[in-house]
Amino acid sequence: MAEVKLKNVMKQYDNGFVAVHDFNIDIKDKEFIVLVGPSGCGKSTTLRMIAGLEDISGGEIIIGDNVVNDMEPKDRDIAMVFQNYALYPHMTVYEIIAFCLRLRKVPNDEIHRKVVEAAEILGISGLLGRKPKQLSGGQRQRVALGRAIVRNPQVFLLDEPLSNLDAKLRAQMRTELAKLHKKLGTTFIYVTHDQIEAMTMGDRIVVMKDGYVQQIDTPINLYDNPVNKFVAGFIGTPQMNFFDADLVNDSGKYSVIVYNAKVQLPDRINEALSKRESVPEKVTLGVRPENFIICEDDAPDTFPAEIRMTEPMGSEIHIHAECADGICPILRIQTSEMSEKEQFELIGKKKLSLKVRESTVNIFDTVDGRNLAVVNAVPVPDKQEADIGTGGSDKKKKKDKKNRK
Amino acid sequence: MSEKKKYRSKSGRERVTRILIYIFLTALCLIWLIPFIYLVFQAFRGESRSMVTYIFPKEWSFDNFIFLSTKTPFWSWYLNTFIIALFNAVLQSAIVLCVAYALSRMRFKGRKFIMNLMLVLGMFPGFLSMIATYFILKLFGLTSENSVPGLIIVYAASSGMGYYIAKGFFDTIPRSLDEAARIDGASRARVFFCIIMPMAKPIIIYTIMMAFMAPWGDFMYASLITFGHEEAYNVAVGLYKWLDKEHISNYFTIFCAGGLLVSIPITALFMALQKYYVEGVTGGAVKG
Repeated sequence: MAEVKLKNVMKQYDNGFVAVHDFNIDIKDKEFIVLVGPSGCGKSTTLRMIAGLEDISGGEIIIGDNVVNDMEPKDRDIAMVFQNYALYPHMTVYEIIAFCLRLRKVPNDEIHRKVVEAAEILGISGLLGRKPKQLSGGQRQRVALGRAIVRNPQVFLLDEPLSNLDAKLRAQMRTELAKLHKKLGTTFIYVTHDQIEAMTMGDRIVVMKDGYVQQIDTPINLYDNPVNKFVAGFIGTPQMNFFDADLVNDSGKYSVIVYNAKVQLPDRINEALSKRESVPEKVTLGVRPENFIICEDDAPDTFPAEIRMTEPMGSEIHIHAECADGICPILRIQTSEMSEKEQFELIGKKKLSLKVRESTVNIFDTVDGRNLAVVNAVPVPDKQEADIGTGGSDKKKKKDKKNRK
Repeated sequence: MSEKKKYRSKSGRERVTRILIYIFLTALCLIWLIPFIYLVFQAFRGESRSMVTYIFPKEWSFDNFIFLSTKTPFWSWYLNTFIIALFNAVLQSAIVLCVAYALSRMRFKGRKFIMNLMLVLGMFPGFLSMIATYFILKLFGLTSENSVPGLIIVYAASSGMGYYIAKGFFDTIPRSLDEAARIDGASRARVFFCIIMPMAKPIIIYTIMMAFMAPWGDFMYASLITFGHEEAYNVAVGLYKWLDKEHISNYFTIFCAGGLLVSIPITALFMALQKYYVEGVTGGAVKG
């Protein structure tokens, strides 16, 4: 039970490749923090630096009251769950869970009590005599968790723990992990590339790209007010739709024009824009798939789109459309209040007239992708840096090395 | 109906191929075994000790073995070889496994260079350094009658270079196991002995077998370093002396009897550990 602070933490490999740039965060006690981002964004590296498996090239990591930069992993009072579980194949479940306690010279009867207790919490009491080979994926996952909770650590680190499970089990384990977090009251730091996991589990989410922190925020805020185009596109499936639009000022009220349709901007954006020194003429309009309204054909301020494909998902329909300039937005239409006939009609349509739900839109800078309504928004890392950033493979590192020479 | 016929003819053809393959393999096997069978028969030949032109002995006896045990220093050579092989098995296995683990898991300056250097050095035939090795050992008084410790040092000293197969095996063990153990509180040494070693049984056995067999049959170094001191010979050098011009007519069947005895421990070891041996050789490559 402890706070974790990262101050200007960065990781640079020997060949000059920077995996993590200037990472700052204050993680509160008992908080569930999720690091999320595409592969190669440095989220696992960050977690491994907190664990002590990776050296820190700059900055400070503080767990509780201790600066742990040069501390061995075992002295940091953390527990880690690995993606491939890392269960010792030659030991039984009981021995695996007891291993860390044995190393800490805990008396035998206490070990037994703790192991049995942990097994009960996770529902693996019947499996204590088995070896990892004889367990299913979900059971292995529980054993890995058991090994972590038996130590009662200050911080729990989880490195993509659910990505080896099938979809159904993953959903189940997701809720169980959330419950476990409540029960244990420990700080959790969780790495995933799956934004659904991030959204459902995290108290706060850290979105990373190419070693840069993009945004640290609550799931709702991340979804409604992404700081830039990258975060907007990364969070949410299907992803946010982007349109090129012109920003116009109508007697103090801003609106955007997209395909000749006028979209009045909500107050929060208006306020933010009025505080800015200069306002660009061209912007990128971001609209979530559920925020389109299908209108009558001759309604004012609508724009036309042709339907290319429809995907009925049961509770909703995803419509892949195409607009005049070749941009293909995806629409998400709830079907719960539609009759079957209406649904068939919708799927059978060729053309739609669309309107945007004005209160929900976001506008982004066309050049650096910043959300124009967010103060001090982080720009999307540019392509050149991104190229170096997505490295991590040996090949890339070698290339970098060559270039430096 | 016609389909059934077709199927039959296909299986018939298959059977013929299979029979041919087995005949071929049996022939190969016999060719391979002939020298050994010949050796066994000669070892039990009682009528004369010289080389003869026939295979089957006219008179069967244990005389050769009795002669070997009573009138030659064979058993002292045997003991020498056994001591050397045993010590080497222990030392070399320990060195090879440690080197392989370090090269597989730790990242340090010069790691790549060391690996390449050892690979290149390994390509030079061993006899290139023989003379130098001999003089160095002589400096320490570890040649001639003191050859046994000298030979142990020679065999064990260069053993780290044989790290390749063991490293390949360790590379297949996920690193996250090491990391999990380190977070659990284990030191590097503990990770090696408590986590990695129990998982590496096949490769440990393979390494021990290799380390035992190499000095057991070595002739080159043993003959140089013992330098004519009969009491320090190992079996290969000792037995070979009986094959020169002056001895061969009186010692040929004795040589065969000695050869038979030499092959026993190796064969026994191999039989006992065969299962692990195959696993060890292929395990490094395919084990996920």
